[in-house]
Amino acid sequence: MTDEIHILHILLVEDNEADVDLTLEMLTSAKFDIKFSVARDGVEAIDFLCGDGRWSEPGHPTLILLDLNLPRRDGRQVLSILKSDEQFRRIPVIVLSSSDSEKDITSCYHLGANCYLVKPGDLQAYRGLVRMLEDFWLGVVKLPRCEGHSIATSIGYGH
Amino acid sequence: MAHQIASEEIIRLAVELSPSGMMMTDADGTIVLVNAEVERLFGYTREELLGRSVDILVPMSMRAAHESDRASFMAHPEARRMGVGRDLYGMRKDGSKVPVEIGLNPIKTSDGLMILSAIADITERKLADERFRLVVEACPSGMIMTNADGTIVLVNAEAERLFGYARAELYGRSIDLLVPAVARADHANHRKKFLARPEARRMGIGRDLYGVRKNGTQIPIEIGLNPIHTSDGRMVLSAITDITERKRASEALAARSEELLRSNADLEQFAYVVSHDLQEPLRMVTYYTELLAEYLKDRLDEKSKKYIHYAVDGAKRMQQLVKGLLAYSRINSQGRSPMPIKSEIVVKSVLDSLKVAIEESCAEIICEPLPVVRADTVQLAQVFQNLIGNAIKFHGRHSPCIRIGAKQNDKKWTFLVEDNGIGIDRQYSERVFQMFQRLHERGRYEGNGIGLAIAKKIVERHGGRIWFDSEPQHGTTFYFTIPAADGENA
Repeated sequence: MTDEIHILHILLVEDNEADVDLTLEMLTSAKFDIKFSVARDGVEAIDFLCGDGRWSEPGHPTLILLDLNLPRRDGRQVLSILKSDEQFRRIPVIVLSSSDSEKDITSCYHLGANCYLVKPGDLQAYRGLVRMLEDFWLGVVKLPRCEGHSIATSIGYGH
Repeated sequence: MAHQIASEEIIRLAVELSPSGMMMTDADGTIVLVNAEVERLFGYTREELLGRSVDILVPMSMRAAHESDRASFMAHPEARRMGVGRDLYGMRKDGSKVPVEIGLNPIKTSDGLMILSAIADITERKLADERFRLVVEACPSGMIMTNADGTIVLVNAEAERLFGYARAELYGRSIDLLVPAVARADHANHRKKFLARPEARRMGIGRDLYGVRKNGTQIPIEIGLNPIHTSDGRMVLSAITDITERKRASEALAARSEELLRSNADLEQFAYVVSHDLQEPLRMVTYYTELLAEYLKDRLDEKSKKYIHYAVDGAKRMQQLVKGLLAYSRINSQGRSPMPIKSEIVVKSVLDSLKVAIEESCAEIICEPLPVVRADTVQLAQVFQNLIGNAIKFHGRHSPCIRIGAKQNDKKWTFLVEDNGIGIDRQYSERVFQMFQRLHERGRYEGNGIGLAIAKKIVERHGGRIWFDSEPQHGTTFYFTIPAADGENA
């Protein structure tokens, strides 16, 4: 195994710059070595994964943090595209939304979200949430390898 | 055994005892035989009648016609009814007239051709007919009677008014005259079906029926059909109601309630969008003010810290309001259909979730047996949560003592949540249920002032009502009603 594989790469899909800054602020203060990419809407998110648009090659994030209310293609559409794609479906998607409506929560899990979190109302709570997220998803959880999904896919399909 | 009687005597007795008047006249109209009923009917003794002309029994006005009728009968003698289609009358000895029906039979005797008349007194029937006509006439609905062919035979005043025709214009005409052209073919079929299985019923259930007035305009109507057997055959009596006004009123009502529903839905949608979209910028204000305070922690003086605290506090309070508004706006859109649920379990779970508050305030909770009701579990829990939460929060000098119970009246249950708290002044009885209304200065009691507004909306969504009784400083009892589950008793 090379070090390369151990770099954690998070794709943050979020249109609100203030939210981006805040999330980065919280996450960079923590103990993991994380590389960040930011997509400002749903179209950019898919571009990032495919290496289209302003990206020259496909990104391979370990984890995707997805906001729901996005310009152009919204979070649900992104989720639906990711989870019905052979390549992308195994990337854990964590929905981070200000909506606590039952409808949003249910529909996201239905579309295949791996986790749904509601953005809390104050800084302390937000900080706590990001810490938990970090500890669990980056510390506890065993994540799939970033690259070489063709192998994973073929194992998964029993060839 | 009775005496043997001659066959001639039997015939005489049969004639004599017949319930109809029986009279025989010769070719000249001279009376040769009458029975007891004829004597009764006309008020003459038979001695007074025998040998006299039948004309004495015919009203003056009809005598001339009667004579020529007799002549034509003699020319073509055959058994038939007299004067079909005309009203016949006999004249009594005292000059009064009696309505009769007469059957004529030619009889050949050794004395030549005779006419045997069977005369029935139809006074009773005439009276019944007249009563029927009066009832029909006085009926507030339009009444039209048609025969099997659909020919109009009777019309009352209201039907004249309804359709704009005088009755003379309608008698003898087809009912089609009053049926819109597009419906005529169907109408004929329906009439056939009705006559095949005649029973009193409404016409065209589920269809909109229209009648055509003389001026060509159409009016919406409702029609009740009644089959009637008459001596002239099977008839159909239709009771017709003009429903123009009712239709207009119900259409106006439907339009208004639809408008109301729409404007309610619009409002809810508005509240949802506003509260949802406000959350984002509010979070930003809160986060960054707090973040700023952290960054500048060592460089801020007390005054600046206080001001930052005000800003954060204000934003957080607004978050609470927006949250409340969001919850309020979701009551209808995210509510589930009510189903039978055990309210006791609902209350138990609410008490569990309030465990910390109950322990901290040393509250004593008395929960009486509670019924099965028809409700949305989550929403009913919300109502109890808000009421019990308030009862704990607004306690007086003593630690709170709260009683939860229910009693049934009719098809609904009245729940009560009783406390010994600070009470609510009667003058606020409406205000407490309004959104964002607080009766106490901020800081003394926590809350966003929306709990009771939500409780009220939930209760009303379930078809219930919420209210309270209170004595300031001694306590408050909130009541609310929820429909009982079908077939469930206490």
